[in-house]
Amino acid sequence: MSTGAVSPQHPSVPLRHRLNIDQLSAEQLAAFRAAVSGMMGISDDRGYNYQAGIHGLPLPISCDIAHGHPIFLPWHRAYLYFFELYLRDIQANVTLPWWDWTSDRHVPAAYNERDVAGQPNPLYSAKVDPLAVQQGAAEGDRRGDVTRREPGADGAPPLPTAHQIEAVLALPGFLDFTHQLENYHNNVHVWVGGHMGDIPFAAFDPIFYAHHAMIDRLWRMWQLRHPSASFPHSLLGEALPPFGMTVRETLDANTLGYDYAVRGSTGAGTGTA
Amino acid sequence: MRVFVSEPLPNPAAEGEPEFTRADLVFYGVDHSGPSFEARVYLNKPDADLSTPRDPEAGFAGSFTIFGHAGCAGDVGHCDVPTGPRDPFDVRPPHTMTRQTKTVIITEALRRVTDPELTITVVPVRPGALSAETVDALVFDEFRVLTYL
Repeated sequence: MSTGAVSPQHPSVPLRHRLNIDQLSAEQLAAFRAAVSGMMGISDDRGYNYQAGIHGLPLPISCDIAHGHPIFLPWHRAYLYFFELYLRDIQANVTLPWWDWTSDRHVPAAYNERDVAGQPNPLYSAKVDPLAVQQGAAEGDRRGDVTRREPGADGAPPLPTAHQIEAVLALPGFLDFTHQLENYHNNVHVWVGGHMGDIPFAAFDPIFYAHHAMIDRLWRMWQLRHPSASFPHSLLGEALPPFGMTVRETLDANTLGYDYAVRGSTGAGTGTA
Repeated sequence: MRVFVSEPLPNPAAEGEPEFTRADLVFYGVDHSGPSFEARVYLNKPDADLSTPRDPEAGFAGSFTIFGHAGCAGDVGHCDVPTGPRDPFDVRPPHTMTRQTKTVIITEALRRVTDPELTITVVPVRPGALSAETVDALVFDEFRVLTYL
């Protein structure tokens, strides 16, 4: 789906491309895992637990302003943007991969292996912030302090199909599009289950970010298909706390330095003339 | 509520009614403070329950899914949505538990119903590792069936 465009702000600098998790090279996947693992080892606000906690517990649950609201897509675009920057602080060229659940109808293999080369796979599970566990437990939650999944449990809504997503992408109005897409997004959360299944703990599961990269990609695809569609004007100046961005600043993924492709590889240039 | 069954409504797809290109079933004031669940919608299937399949032949029209809060982790009052007029100088975003609107596109499902009356049944289902269950979490203010030319 890549446009192959250069950055609109830095014409000589290529955009970074988020790639399909199932199409990453071994080196790309290793770098991504190293970045996630590195974030998990940081206990301050650059770390995995802090960033995951922005979405849910511990309080405040910042995503609350976004779900069921037209800023659902802008808020989560900003969220992934900053999360990805912290990944790149550890591994310079890493981008967030996306999980195309319309074609890969299982938890992707990269997230489903408990161990990799004799080491725990950081994409398989993550420790949950102890304060989040404590606050959830006070409400009776017993999910535990390490993320787990129950994919496709009995009664789970099915993963969205390619046909369903095509129908959503064809909707001409933004409000209609985001409303229907958010519902399919909800289905995937509940299908994965476990910590992903409810707002307070969802972002602690590493697969959260691959799921939301897919959602963000679909928004990008919709924007390309409906170039004249407008975002509700009254919301353009809305702040997206805690990110220090407004809705307007999230509308063009290219100005944030990225786009989406299925696969990508990079070759060296000739160097200086 | 574990299962919602509406009173019979005039069916906008009944014989003699105007044609439509799209039909929506819109739920207003939907609560999302509890657990996540899928609200399965059936048309003219008032006995639908957990075991009723998601098949058009069974009256299945679609669903909406609540990505829920699973309770309130704050102190007393933290999740209470303020009522009454809002201070015009209060620029805080809407309260986090402000209820939502959910739209289920039911165009094809409604076209299959030709009875003069329409009944809406909503079965809220929470999946489980051992077995699914209906969940007492379906709360909304009202619904509308809307058709568009």
